Amino acid sequence: MGYSTIYAVSSNDIVYETFDGDAVVLDLASGRYFGFSDSGSCVWEALIAQVPPASLVGRACGNGQLSAADLDAFIDRLTEYGLLSPATDMASVALSPELAQRLAATREALKIDMHDELADLVMVDPIHDVDEPAGWPAVKQ
Amino acid sequence: MRHVTLDGLADYARELLAACEANAGAFPRKSRVELPGLAIDVFSDHGELATALAHGMAAAIAAEPATPARIFLAHPGIGSIPRPALWGEALFHPNMFSERLEANGLRGHYFHDLSYWQFYDVEKRLGVQLMLSADGCPPWEFGAPLRCFLHWEYAARGLRLTHAGTLGKGGKGVLLAGAGGAGKSGTVASGLLAGLDSVGDDYVLVEFDGNRSLTRPLFTTLKQDQAGFDRLGLGRLLPDPGSLNWQGKYQFRVQDLCPRGVADKLDIVALLVPRISGAPLSAITPLARKDALMALAPSGIAQMPGERESGFRFFGELTRRLPCYNLALGTRGNEIAETVAAFLDRGRP
Repeated sequence: MGYSTIYAVSSNDIVYETFDGDAVVLDLASGRYFGFSDSGSCVWEALIAQVPPASLVGRACGNGQLSAADLDAFIDRLTEYGLLSPATDMASVALSPELAQRLAATREALKIDMHDELADLVMVDPIHDVDEPAGWPAVKQ
Repeated sequence: MRHVTLDGLADYARELLAACEANAGAFPRKSRVELPGLAIDVFSDHGELATALAHGMAAAIAAEPATPARIFLAHPGIGSIPRPALWGEALFHPNMFSERLEANGLRGHYFHDLSYWQFYDVEKRLGVQLMLSADGCPPWEFGAPLRCFLHWEYAARGLRLTHAGTLGKGGKGVLLAGAGGAGKSGTVASGLLAGLDSVGDDYVLVEFDGNRSLTRPLFTTLKQDQAGFDRLGLGRLLPDPGSLNWQGKYQFRVQDLCPRGVADKLDIVALLVPRISGAPLSAITPLARKDALMALAPSGIAQMPGERESGFRFFGELTRRLPCYNLALGTRGNEIAETVAAFLDRGRP
């Protein structure tokens, strides 16, 4: 990860809502849902607001300081899941005081949970991918 | 046999809609379904699906203005209605299928096991459900006929067919959200037996009216498996409940449990997420909104073809408007109903 890299939401299929500081993300293409810890929600919001990771390292977060290693691992997960991509043509934005304050008040470590229980129902090709004798929605293994 | 892929999908939909209109006089049965703000003329054959339509839909308030729509439940035995096409060799991806139709002002669904197509022209309010025979639909359609058409029509108006149960008292109500098996239907049946109101136990219509979140009935059916049926003592009200449905559940109607039937509407004051706790007493405790959304949105979005982003946004807004709670279900139905009734009286746990 480059600490000056700016990230953006990967595609229009990635939609998200934030409730009381907690973010929930849905990938419309895969049907997978993602929930974050409180610090994860703040970092997600910062990254999609074009705050570079370098601005986040060392900040108070979840009863400690946000380390480069933890941030690296978190961003790796976000990109592996297809939620974030590097954006080459975007200018960096400073972390807002409000978000910095929320990040400092978090209590949980950086974390993202993925829920794919319903993904098969949303994305599988029911004609070519299903187990014929069992039929939809038994997916071919 | 004709094969359809994404490239010919919208044309195929338009052809089927035109064929139905041209054959309207050949349909053996025409009925009217009056739902909130919607009066649907349904052209069909006779059979189990027609019976489900006649008995399983909630009647709208008579004085309410209604927009007309037409839906054809078609099969090749009617006039010159063609046999259903098959999907070709190209990839079938439900999201791409929906996007291609939406780009052409259409909505649709294909269930390949039964060569079952549904298309809806949102502007004309004209729909077709093409099957191989009069009752050649997936088994879940009998419990909620026209479900996809209602989903598309109401979504176009900014309303939402929502996968949730409801209970209410004095016009105020709670939404009960969660995946299958969480206890929604048992909670609704318990409440009805104890004198509470409901607008449905599975799919209900939700709309925003200013700051209020209103829910209205679309279907009158209730479902219970044998264990729930016995636990609630439903045998005394339904001595002959008929055969089990495709889910292994008895299917009956709200008016079978309470003579007043479904309520016209409920003003929703909270979102409850039930779970079977095994504890003797029920308990209502606060729940984070993100967890409430995770209980409410996924099944509603996965079960309804198309309109996925608007659904996520709608359920996000609904979750944001309402206080959210866990409902740990006790073991006795009347105690569960008393807990919900007391919550509705106080407006808090």
